[in-house]
Amino acid sequence: MNIRNFCIIAHIDHGKSTLADRLLQRTGAISERDMREQVLDGMDLERERGITIKASAVSVHYELEGQKYLLNFIDTPGHVDFHYEVSRALTACEGAILVVDATQGVEAQTVANAYMAIDANLEIIPVVNKVDLPSARPEEVALEIEHVLGINANECIFCSAKTGQGIDELLAAICKRLPGPKGDESAKTQALIFDSEYDDYRGVIVYFRLFNGRLKVGDKVRTMGTGRTYSITEMGKFMPKMVLQKEPFEAGEVGYMVAAIKTLDDVHIGDTLTLDLYPADAALEGYREPQRMVFCDFYPVGDTQFDALRDAIERLHLNDASFTFAPQNSDALGFGFRCGFLGLLHMDIVQERLERESNVQLVQTAPTVTYEILLHSADGTDRVVQITNPADLPDVAAVREIREPIVKVEIITPNDCIGDLMKLCEARRGIYKSQRYLSETRQILDYELPLAEIIYDFYDKLKSFTRGYGTMDYALLGFRADRLVKLDILVNGDRVDALSVIVHRDKAEYRGRALLKRLKEKIDRHLFEIPLQAAIGGKVIARETISAMRKNVTAKCYGGDVSRKRKLLEKQKEGKKRMKRVGTVDIPQEAFMAVLEPGE
Amino acid sequence: MHIPFCFHKCHYCDFYSLPDSPTGINGPAAGSDRQSAFVDRLLKEIRFQAQRYTLRPRTVFFGGGTPTLLEAELWKKILETMRQMGLLDDVAEFTVEANPETLHENLLTVLVQGGVNRISIGAQSFNVTHLKTLERWHEPASVTRAVTLARKAGIANINLDLIFAIPGQTPDDVRDDLSQALHLQPDHISCYGLTYEPNTALTQRQRAGQIQPVDEEIERRMYGLVRQILAQTGYEHYEISNWARPGRQCLHNLVYWENDSWLGFGPSAASHVQGRRWKNVPHLGAYISSVASAPVADEEELDVNRHVGEVLMLRLRLRAGAERSWLNALLRDDHARWDKVRDLERLGMLAWRDDHLQLTEEGLYVADAVISQLL
Ligand SMILES: Nc1nc2c(ncn2[C@@H]2O[C@H](COP(=O)(O)OP(=O)(O)OP(=O)(O)O)[C@@H](O)[C@H]2O)c(=O)[nH]1
Ligand code: SF4
Ligand SMILES: [Mg+2]
Repeated sequence: MNIRNFCIIAHIDHGKSTLADRLLQRTGAISERDMREQVLDGMDLERERGITIKASAVSVHYELEGQKYLLNFIDTPGHVDFHYEVSRALTACEGAILVVDATQGVEAQTVANAYMAIDANLEIIPVVNKVDLPSARPEEVALEIEHVLGINANECIFCSAKTGQGIDELLAAICKRLPGPKGDESAKTQALIFDSEYDDYRGVIVYFRLFNGRLKVGDKVRTMGTGRTYSITEMGKFMPKMVLQKEPFEAGEVGYMVAAIKTLDDVHIGDTLTLDLYPADAALEGYREPQRMVFCDFYPVGDTQFDALRDAIERLHLNDASFTFAPQNSDALGFGFRCGFLGLLHMDIVQERLERESNVQLVQTAPTVTYEILLHSADGTDRVVQITNPADLPDVAAVREIREPIVKVEIITPNDCIGDLMKLCEARRGIYKSQRYLSETRQILDYELPLAEIIYDFYDKLKSFTRGYGTMDYALLGFRADRLVKLDILVNGDRVDALSVIVHRDKAEYRGRALLKRLKEKIDRHLFEIPLQAAIGGKVIARETISAMRKNVTAKCYGGDVSRKRKLLEKQKEGKKRMKRVGTVDIPQEAFMAVLEPGE
Repeated sequence: MHIPFCFHKCHYCDFYSLPDSPTGINGPAAGSDRQSAFVDRLLKEIRFQAQRYTLRPRTVFFGGGTPTLLEAELWKKILETMRQMGLLDDVAEFTVEANPETLHENLLTVLVQGGVNRISIGAQSFNVTHLKTLERWHEPASVTRAVTLARKAGIANINLDLIFAIPGQTPDDVRDDLSQALHLQPDHISCYGLTYEPNTALTQRQRAGQIQPVDEEIERRMYGLVRQILAQTGYEHYEISNWARPGRQCLHNLVYWENDSWLGFGPSAASHVQGRRWKNVPHLGAYISSVASAPVADEEELDVNRHVGEVLMLRLRLRAGAERSWLNALLRDDHARWDKVRDLERLGMLAWRDDHLQLTEEGLYVADAVISQLL
C-alpha cells in the first residue's frame, strides 16, 4: 500500500480545517450527512471561537489512477501560541500542505510554519486557498510565496476549500509529489509518540507514528525515555472516527493505541516506543519541552475550595500537558496555583476550560514572564535563579541583575504603516534588526523586543496601526539584563503581592500612576476610604484614593418590596463573593488584570 | 388592598396600575364596568381568604394605584361587606391613599362612615416644575384643599408623601417643599429620595440622557436637611424615609418592618404569613377572570439563613433598630453575622444605643451596603 503522511499548516484562519473537511469529503471518509464545517475542530471552545486549538490526525483511503493510497494527515492550529503543536505534527510527516489565503497573502505564521517545515526536511505543497472570493489575487500570492519562501510559484495549487475547486488536483499532488515513508519493516520497532489524549474510560490514548518495524495488539512495548512497559490492548486509526485495526501496523503508518496507561505523565510526548523484547538501539529524535511564555496564578473564590481547584487543574492537565502548574501561596490571596502557558490565548483557554468543565470559580492574576535573577551571595559567589512571579523577587540587596526574556519578532505589514510600527517597537524598548520587501506593497520587519512588552496589547496595537493587515510571529531568543525594578502595590496599606509587577525603571512612575488609576476604576467604593499606593523598594512613587461610599440606600421598602429588595441586596453580597478579599478590601478579578493595561 | 387604577402614569412609578377614570375617558375597557368587575372579584378574594385565615386585622391599608379613583358606590360596597364580615372589628388604623386631585367631599363622607381614619396624600412636591419632571399630575394647591377636606370630614390622622432629589431640584427647593408641607401640619410625613426603578419612564429618560440625576453629595445634603428640619419641628424619625408626630407612626407599615403577617388583596398585592411570602399576578384581566384564590406569581419560603437576613434587613430600617435580647434570640451563635456586626460597628455604620443596635447617621446614607453585609 502507498502511504502519504502530511500535515496542513498555515497562518491562522487561512482555511486549514476547511480544507481538511474537503479532503475528508472527497475521499469518502465522512458522509454528507455527518459533514459539518471544520469537522475536526471537535472541542466546544474550538467551535465557539472558530479556531483550531489542538492538532487532529486522521487517516483516509484514496484511489488514483488505479493505485490505492492511505493518506494520514494532521490539521494543525495556526495561532502563534500553538507552534509547539505544529512542530510535533511535522515530525510525524514527510510532507506539508502550506495553505495561504488568496486575499491575505503570506502572513507571519505562514513564514514561521513554512520554515519549520523546511527545517524538518518536509516536501511542501503550496496551496493558494479561497480563490472563490472576489478579492482573491492568487497569482500575486503565488509570487509572494516564491519570493519569501523560495518555493516556485508554478508549484502552487489554486483551490477553494469552500467550493471544492482544485481539491482533486491537490489530492493528485499529494499522491504524486509527496514521498512515501522510508521506514524499514524488518528493522527494530521505533514509534514516535506525537500526541496523546486522556479518555475517562480507556486511560491515555497514545498517538504514534511508526517509523520502523511493526506493532500489533498484544505487543509489550517500552517507552525508551522513561523505561516503562505496557501491553497494547487496542490499536486503530482515526478515520476520523476511531476505527479498530486488527492487522499489524507497518512502518510508515500512523495510528493510536490504548495500553492501560493511567496518566499523561507516564508517557512523554516525543518519547519513542519500542518492543520490550527486541528494543531498538536508539530512540528517535524527540521534542524539546515546550517553552512556557507566560505565567499567572489561579486562586479559588466564591464557593470553590482549594481542593476543588486542584482537582480541576489536574483533570484538565490530563488533556493538556502543555501548561504547567505548581501550588502557590500568596500573602494576599492565600493558596492557589502558579501556572505556565504557551501564550495568552492558551492561558485564556485553560482558564475558560477550568471554569466550564469543572465548574470552579477562580480569580486569575495578571500574566507575567519569567525573569532570571543574578544573585550575589554573602559568600561572594554569584548564582542565577529563575522566577515566574514578581512577588518572588529576592531581597534587592542581593540582586545584581534582573534579566528578562527577549524575543525575535517578525512583523509583516503594508509599507505605509512601517513608520508607526517602528515607533511602537521603540516605545516598547525594541531593537531594530532588519527590514525587507515581501512584495511591492508589503514588508517584513524584524525587531528584538522584551517579551513582557508584547504579551498584552502589542498585537492589538499592531492590528490597529495596520488596519488589520499586519501580522506578527515571535520566538524566544534568550535573557537580557536591563534596569528592571519591582513595583509593589499597596491597597489600604497592605502590600498585595499578586499585584506586583517588574517594570523598567524609566517607566516605573508612569506605570505606577496608570496602574493605580485603573485599580481605582476597578475596585468598588467601600464603606471606608481606601488609599492606593505604588512603591519601589518601600518608596512610594504614586498614590490614589478610593473615596468611601457616599449614598446607597433604598428609599422604600414596604410589603411588596421585601423579596425583591432582599434579592437585590443578596446580589450585592454575592458579587463580593466572586472577589478576592485582601485585608478588608474586596478586589475583583479585573483589578488583577489591570496591571497589564499600560494605558498608553 | 391594591386598587390598580390611576388616571395617569407618573414617570417614577413602578406600581402595577392601569389608566382609568370614573367616566371611562380612557377607553371602552376602562370605566365603571371594569371597576365594578374588579370590586366584585376583590370581595370574592376577601371571602375566599376569610375561609382560610382568621381575618381580624389590626390595620387596613388601601393603596395602589389610586384608591380614590374608585366610585363612591363601589367604596360603599367594599366597606359594607368588610363591616358585615367583621373584618373591621379590631381595626385601629385604616388608611386610604389619596391622590390630591381625586379626594372629594362625598367620597370622604363614605370613607369616614365606613371606618377610614387615616388618609395618605401623595403631595410629592409643591413645585410645579418638579411635579412636571415627575409627570405627576396635580396642582400643588389641591394638596391643601385635600388636607382641609379630610380634616373637615373627620380624619384626624394625615400623612403627606414627599419626594426629594428630583432632577433639577436644589436643597433650597427641598426646604421650601418641607415648609409648605409643615404648614399643613400633617401627622406623618414620608419623604423619599427619588429612586430610578427599572422599567419606568423616568429611568428611560435618564438613560437617554434627557434628565440628570441629582449629584449624590447634594442628595446627601438634602436628606440631612430633611432630617434636621423635621426633627426641629417635632417629627420623630422612625424609619429611613418616615417621620411621625408622637404616637402617629404608621401601624400598618410597622407590620412590614417588624416582619409580622399580613394578607394582600388585588392584582400584584403581596402577602406574608409566618415566613411564607407570595404575590398576586400583576394582571387585572387574569385577576378578574380567576376563581377562588387569585393567581400567584412568586411564592417563597426562605431557609433559616435567608430568613434571618431578611428579618434583619427589615428591622434595621427602623431607627430604633434591633433590641439586644431580640437580636440575641435571632442570631444566637451565628458567629459570621456577629463578626459582621462588630466590623460594621468598627466602621461606624452600626452602633448600640439604649440597648438597641441601630444604623448610625453615616450608616443611614449607605444602609443598603451595610445591610447587604448581614444577609
Ligand atoms: N470563501 C472562502 N472561505 C473559506 C475558504 N476556506 C476557509 N474559509 C473560511 O475561512 C475561515 C477560517 O477557516 P478555518 O478552516 O477555520 O481556518 P484555519 O486555518 O483552520 O484556522 P485556525 O485553525 O484557527 O488556524 C472560516 O470562516 C472558513 O469558512 C475558502 O476557500 N473560501
Ligand atoms: S398615582 Fe401613584 S400608583 Fe398611580 S402612577 Fe402615580 S405614583 Fe403610580
Ligand atoms: Mg483550523
